[in-house]
Amino acid sequence: MKNIYEVQSANKLKSAIIVGLFVVFVFLATYILTNAYGYYMGYQPGGLGFFGIALIVSGVSSFISYYYSDKIVLGISGARRANPTEDKLFTQVIENLCIGAGLSKPALYVIDDPSPNAFATGRDPSHAVICATTGLLSKLDRSEMEGVFAHELTHIKSYDTRLMAVVAVMVGLIALLGDWFMRSMWWGGRRRSDNEGEAATIFIVLGIIFAILSPIVGTLIQLAISRRREFVADAGSVAITRQPQDLISALQKISEDPETLRSANKATAHLYIENPFKKKGHGKVGWFSGIFDTHPPITERIKALKSMA
Amino acid sequence: MPYILLVIVAILVLWIISIYNFFVSSKTRVGASIQEIGNQLKRQAELIPNLEASAKGYLAHEKGIFNELTAARKAISSAVDSGNLKKMADAGKMLSDVLPKIQVVVESNPEIKGSEVVKNLMDELRDTSDKVMYARRLLIDLTADYNVRLVSFPSSVIAGIFHFEKLKGFETPMEADELKVTGEEMKTPKINL
Repeated sequence: MKNIYEVQSANKLKSAIIVGLFVVFVFLATYILTNAYGYYMGYQPGGLGFFGIALIVSGVSSFISYYYSDKIVLGISGARRANPTEDKLFTQVIENLCIGAGLSKPALYVIDDPSPNAFATGRDPSHAVICATTGLLSKLDRSEMEGVFAHELTHIKSYDTRLMAVVAVMVGLIALLGDWFMRSMWWGGRRRSDNEGEAATIFIVLGIIFAILSPIVGTLIQLAISRRREFVADAGSVAITRQPQDLISALQKISEDPETLRSANKATAHLYIENPFKKKGHGKVGWFSGIFDTHPPITERIKALKSMA
Repeated sequence: MPYILLVIVAILVLWIISIYNFFVSSKTRVGASIQEIGNQLKRQAELIPNLEASAKGYLAHEKGIFNELTAARKAISSAVDSGNLKKMADAGKMLSDVLPKIQVVVESNPEIKGSEVVKNLMDELRDTSDKVMYARRLLIDLTADYNVRLVSFPSSVIAGIFHFEKLKGFETPMEADELKVTGEEMKTPKINL
């Protein structure tokens, strides 16, 4: 049995490794795709080159997602601001947990939906948002809510919300570059000269391979980060409340609830505490079917929590 | 070669600064978290007269409880004003000893239990004691972080150079009766129904 501090540091290390892998991969894919494009067109723009241009584009779009991701997500989900008297319990529980975690109180939002679920977003702890469904607020008791919201506060405290927003943009960028390269192949390059030799051929072949594979690999790494962060947040929740049992029973209630969340879609699914799209008959499965999931299987999460109890 | 040395020295200096800043800022945060405990205890104490007023009709025959509540409230006010963590902890304990008694009275009277006023009262009591508990949790966690860095290598070297000392945090008796288990307590309790 490990104590929560050991679990937390092991989790941090694992997710740092995955994130490092992701950064290396994004740079490699961008480098190869932009070079392949350059060789194929027989032309490199002066100064920065295509690689530089791609980095600037990704920088700008990361910047936008950094500032506006919370507003976009709340808009998509149709959330309303929580009312301190109407949603008294919600407000109280968050207030208390923030005292314990040493965070300032985030903005609170409510989605009118009977399916119990919750998510956190925002670029840093002072611009954070926690959103809960009315189903969650009515179906869980106070202690279970503390477990769920402590999980969300951990996402905020460890800047997961920012990380996932930026990662999503990076994956989108690779897919865009791959698409761009493949389209240019379709129309055919013009000013290709023979004196470039082997380097050009190698880059073009690699470019085709990366254009096909990198969006898939990027998505897989993104999902792996997302799953790892859920374990980190579960451990962090226990570090705040010291009550793994309450989070376990909350996760069970959320996963066993028959309602599905109408306002969630594939782009926002990874934000929630538990996958909003229910899967039936999800027992013991091989690792392969799990690599496309945004969340680790609930049984795995409960097992990890029980080891802390 | 001299450049490499220069870079190494620069990194070392930056590292020492960051460790130093960790200790200094942790100390400040610990101080702030002690104030937060006082703040929450005070909130709890100020809440009590309201609770008394709203529940007096229901709990009229429980004079003893009300006297204890009033005593606890006074103790908290003076402890928070003194800023002494030990006194605050003791006063807080006085109050947390009374609160379960109210709970017992409420639980044992079905007609009281059903009333909206008393339900609100119980919610407020739970909320206020949670707030105090979480305020303590923050102090405990911050102190633990600080003390771990103080004794673990290599930050312990920096702590030694600048004479940082171990923080006490939230004091709980280390050798009191609560921490000992007697043979009697190890037995499975028998319940006679």
